[in-house]
Amino acid sequence: MSEATRTLPVSDTAGAAGSSASSIWQAIKNGFPYFLGFFSLFFIWHVVAVYVVASVLFPPPYAVLLRAIELLQDGVLVENVGASLQRIIIGFIAGSLIGIPIGLIIGSFPLARKILEPWTESLRFIPSVAMITIAVIWFGIGEPSKIFLIIYTTVFIVILNTAAGVGAISANKIRAAQALGANSRQIFFLVALPATVPYILTGMRIAMANSFTTIVAAELVAANAGLGVMLWQGRMYMQIGDIFVALVSLCILGFTADRLFRFGVAHFAGRYDVTP
Amino acid sequence: MALISLTDVGKSFRSREGRAWSAVADFNLTLEDGEFYCLLGPSGCGKSTILSLLAGFTLPSTGRLELSGKPIKGASRDRGVVFQGDDSLYPWLTAVENVEFGLRLRGVDRRERRDRAMQYLELVGLHGQEGKHPPELSGGMKQRVQIARALANEPRILLMDEPFGALDAQTRGAMQVELRRIWERMKVTVVFITHDIDEAIVLGTRVGVMTAGPGGTLKKNLPIDIPGERTRGNPRYIALYEEIHALVREEVLRANALRAA
Repeated sequence: MSEATRTLPVSDTAGAAGSSASSIWQAIKNGFPYFLGFFSLFFIWHVVAVYVVASVLFPPPYAVLLRAIELLQDGVLVENVGASLQRIIIGFIAGSLIGIPIGLIIGSFPLARKILEPWTESLRFIPSVAMITIAVIWFGIGEPSKIFLIIYTTVFIVILNTAAGVGAISANKIRAAQALGANSRQIFFLVALPATVPYILTGMRIAMANSFTTIVAAELVAANAGLGVMLWQGRMYMQIGDIFVALVSLCILGFTADRLFRFGVAHFAGRYDVTP
Repeated sequence: MALISLTDVGKSFRSREGRAWSAVADFNLTLEDGEFYCLLGPSGCGKSTILSLLAGFTLPSTGRLELSGKPIKGASRDRGVVFQGDDSLYPWLTAVENVEFGLRLRGVDRRERRDRAMQYLELVGLHGQEGKHPPELSGGMKQRVQIARALANEPRILLMDEPFGALDAQTRGAMQVELRRIWERMKVTVVFITHDIDEAIVLGTRVGVMTAGPGGTLKKNLPIDIPGERTRGNPRYIALYEEIHALVREEVLRANALRAA
């Protein structure tokens, strides 16, 4: 009888701790393509704006930068960015805090899944943007309606990912704990919960991206301050520079928020590798 | 009294269409303290079901399954389990944290459990690897962590479900030698599931050959009575191999005939 033996690659992660000089060189080598990517973004923007379009309707990067400095100096940019960011942070945290336990319950108990799925599986298909009008009618144009919308856009994706994470726990992880003498409370807190963390974090990352989309849309419709307001007023008064400052701010904020989130995961939860 | 006894044990499952099919039937076996029992059989014969029953992950549909005269009602820490794949390890814990997991469940104090876990890591040859997480370890190392984790809990019986099945031939050979050495030192009773005849002869004190499934049962028990080295150079080894091979071959042919019919 011939036995086919599967060969596993032996992952002997060789300690690649070279000298500090070579690690700096390594950092430059890794960082350079990244830098090149950013540089080409601004370069092509500049070329298109100045030589191809050549219109006041499409300002080049340096014009936007000058306008951004002006808006920073008179406090308008800080006020609007601050307003949007505050709404996102509050709604995102609240939405995650609501979504995680619900996701854990749905993932753990088939009965709860059956009862709660009609809620999650129908409501999650209403885009948060479609909820703006009703949110404004219910909660007014102030903060509560914005935070409601961010919670709305966060909660379902977090629920879905958390529940999927619970469902993806391999039976052998649970069985191993049982054979080691774990009771059901220990299985939940010491096995199921940590095994689900990467899925929860992935859900939260997607939710954060959604929050940026939602907040701008909500502020476009009704708000006193925020990046959406800046965009809307820019259109009303034909201030193209302001519109571009708002757009670039969104890029920078989204990028930074995502990096911070990933950094936080690597730092505080490095042992739970999150999908890149 | 026998350590473990299975009397007319049967286990049937219901298929998706609702038809019942039997994985094992009329299974009779007694195991004594200190044995290294290898259960051998063609794939699909129900040998993993037997292990799952012994572990208490599933309960028998018919018959009696007893540990020291008491029926097995569920998983318990007197029966440690080593699984085939690495998906039973906890990737968010380091090797040593995985090994001390059972002690942590019982509330053994941090220092003491760390000391004990380190001893077992040493026993399985993983000294210096304690701080690594499972994804950083090779397949063979991960199985060593699993063995250490099960042993650190000091079970009466170690249940192993084709633990070296996914390893390459060299690693597998080395692991067999190590396991045999550990068993001699620990004096723990081992039930070892495999489909590899050589593995069963090298490791076991007794080999049980199962009939082909569905409804697999025990065909024959053979004591591994080999004086001296358990290598292919030993004529007794070859004779035993041929005998077991003939038994397994019969079952494989029977299974194929059943499938063709």
